[in-house]
Amino acid sequence: MASIAASSTSFIVGRPKWWRDGQIVRRRSITFLQRAFTYIVLIDIAFVFLVPIFYIMATSLKTSQDLTDPTIVWIPSGFFWINYPLAFFSMAYVKSLSNSLYISLGSALGQTVSCAFVGYGFARVRFPGRDALFALVLFTFLVPPQTIIVPLFILYKNLGWINTYQPFVVPSFFGHGLKGALFVVVFRQFFKTLPWELEEAARIDGASAFATWWRIMVPLAMPAVVVVFLFSVVWHWNDFFEPFIYLNRMEYFTLPMRLSVLSPSLDTATGGQASDLFNEALVMAAVFLVILPPLSIYLFTQRFFVESIDRTGLVE
Amino acid sequence: MKIAVSRDDALAVARATTPVRRRRLSLTTQRMLEGYFFVSPWIVGFLVFLAWPLFQSFFLSFHELQATSLTDLKWKGIDNYKEAFFIDARFVPKLLATLKNNLLDVPVIMIFSLFSAILANQRIKGVIGFRAVFFLPLVIGSAQVIKQLFAQGVGGATLSQGINVQELVYQYIGADAAAGVSDLLNRLLFVLWKTGVQMLIFLAGLNSVSPVLYEAARVDGATDWDRFWKVTLPLLSPVILVNLVYTIVDSFTDTFNQVLEYIQQTAFAGGFRLGYAASLGWVYFAVVFLILFVVIRITNQYVFYAGDRSG
Repeated sequence: MASIAASSTSFIVGRPKWWRDGQIVRRRSITFLQRAFTYIVLIDIAFVFLVPIFYIMATSLKTSQDLTDPTIVWIPSGFFWINYPLAFFSMAYVKSLSNSLYISLGSALGQTVSCAFVGYGFARVRFPGRDALFALVLFTFLVPPQTIIVPLFILYKNLGWINTYQPFVVPSFFGHGLKGALFVVVFRQFFKTLPWELEEAARIDGASAFATWWRIMVPLAMPAVVVVFLFSVVWHWNDFFEPFIYLNRMEYFTLPMRLSVLSPSLDTATGGQASDLFNEALVMAAVFLVILPPLSIYLFTQRFFVESIDRTGLVE
Repeated sequence: MKIAVSRDDALAVARATTPVRRRRLSLTTQRMLEGYFFVSPWIVGFLVFLAWPLFQSFFLSFHELQATSLTDLKWKGIDNYKEAFFIDARFVPKLLATLKNNLLDVPVIMIFSLFSAILANQRIKGVIGFRAVFFLPLVIGSAQVIKQLFAQGVGGATLSQGINVQELVYQYIGADAAAGVSDLLNRLLFVLWKTGVQMLIFLAGLNSVSPVLYEAARVDGATDWDRFWKVTLPLLSPVILVNLVYTIVDSFTDTFNQVLEYIQQTAFAGGFRLGYAASLGWVYFAVVFLILFVVIRITNQYVFYAGDRSG
């Protein structure tokens, strides 16, 4: 209250710093105490999310003596790098990485293209049954994947798609797959915010519906395209349930899947020495290697994630 | 968005008022066909990857089958459903535990993500960096990674090491309370790792609240506290509903979910009981759907739609 009163009186008196180039400079009156409190809470929350990462990095460099030493929590006695090559080889890193990339990039590409196509139809073309169909899109989001996993498994088995990446990539080209409905909604909302004039000009100039979409609307929808692509990559990367059903041979495993079979595969990699080598530090090194690719993508693209919803106009 | 709608309406009016000529009609039909052309991939996908499997799983839930072929089916009627509720000693407790957990988690996720979105929306230095950190769980929060972290005990224990909450509680209140606190902290940390998308949605919602309203409230002498309850919250209520639905769907399809694990085991690990697994899946789906229906019905009464939101 006091600060509000103070600011309004200062406005009436007309302190010169409120006027800059003849415009009122709006100043939020945050006291020092409020600011300090905000920072403390922000740091607290950031701490919750950063601690696990620091923990992973610290632990992955520990020797087995360090692990049992209660005085060593955050800083290992030395940098014990050997965990990294061990984790690297026992996860068959290069192979698993390329599997993960294949699934993530393939599905993300499919979902981006198909959801942009379908979302445009829902946003811009009027046809009978559109709203009912859109309600169906929302409905598909609610169906737990586990409810339909059995028939899908049988379907893919009959198609010979078990131990291939088709179960992930093919549905995504039809606007389905992991959270496909959500992406259709994102594109629909985005296309709705675009002006009609460009589109009409293209149609008058004789462009077909497809050409209008592909040459006029998609380039305009780049913010949504980037956002959907990134989210799709990350969600597929972290997905776990479906890969474990459709892929049951180790050579097809994705990186996160490898984590769960770390101990047995280390055994084969070292010729039965696993129990001596397998410890928390090794697991953490493996975890770090698994989160490294998405983490490094995020470092460069975090802007797109943070601003994603503003950019796509999902919330009006 | 508003422009788009009114333009569309104007076109519809123009179409309706102009005398019907052959050419005009064919153009309308043409537009209609274009609509189906654009949504056709989705419809095909829906039929193949959702509607048909959904129907099949419903069909299977009344049968038992031995192998993964659909040829030797045995009609069981509602026996599978009976088994789920009356014979199977594991399913109902797991279902109740999942319901209880989600009942606790969803409000925590909602409140925490709103709280951190408000914080991350403050205009202070370095807030962009904090936002980036807040979305980390979204990027690296793979189920397997979290599982490994928690298996190694990166839970409340690691977090509260600095202040030793548990030890204090242990000393002053007792072992039971200490275990409870430790459980709570673990659970909390676990839940906080699922707030990325919700925070994103809230942030966008907060951004869309017009500053004019805050200005007006301030002129009328509202405190920050008043402004939150009387301006922010009502205007945010549609976003809260969206978030609530997303959170419920997300938590009920979470990989750590006991019921889902059990369904997976029944179907694929323990003797391929596909028919029974399908019926469990349907029971679960029905429960989730019912919860969503009730939540949307109740919440919708409290949602405040400012102006025309027909977009």
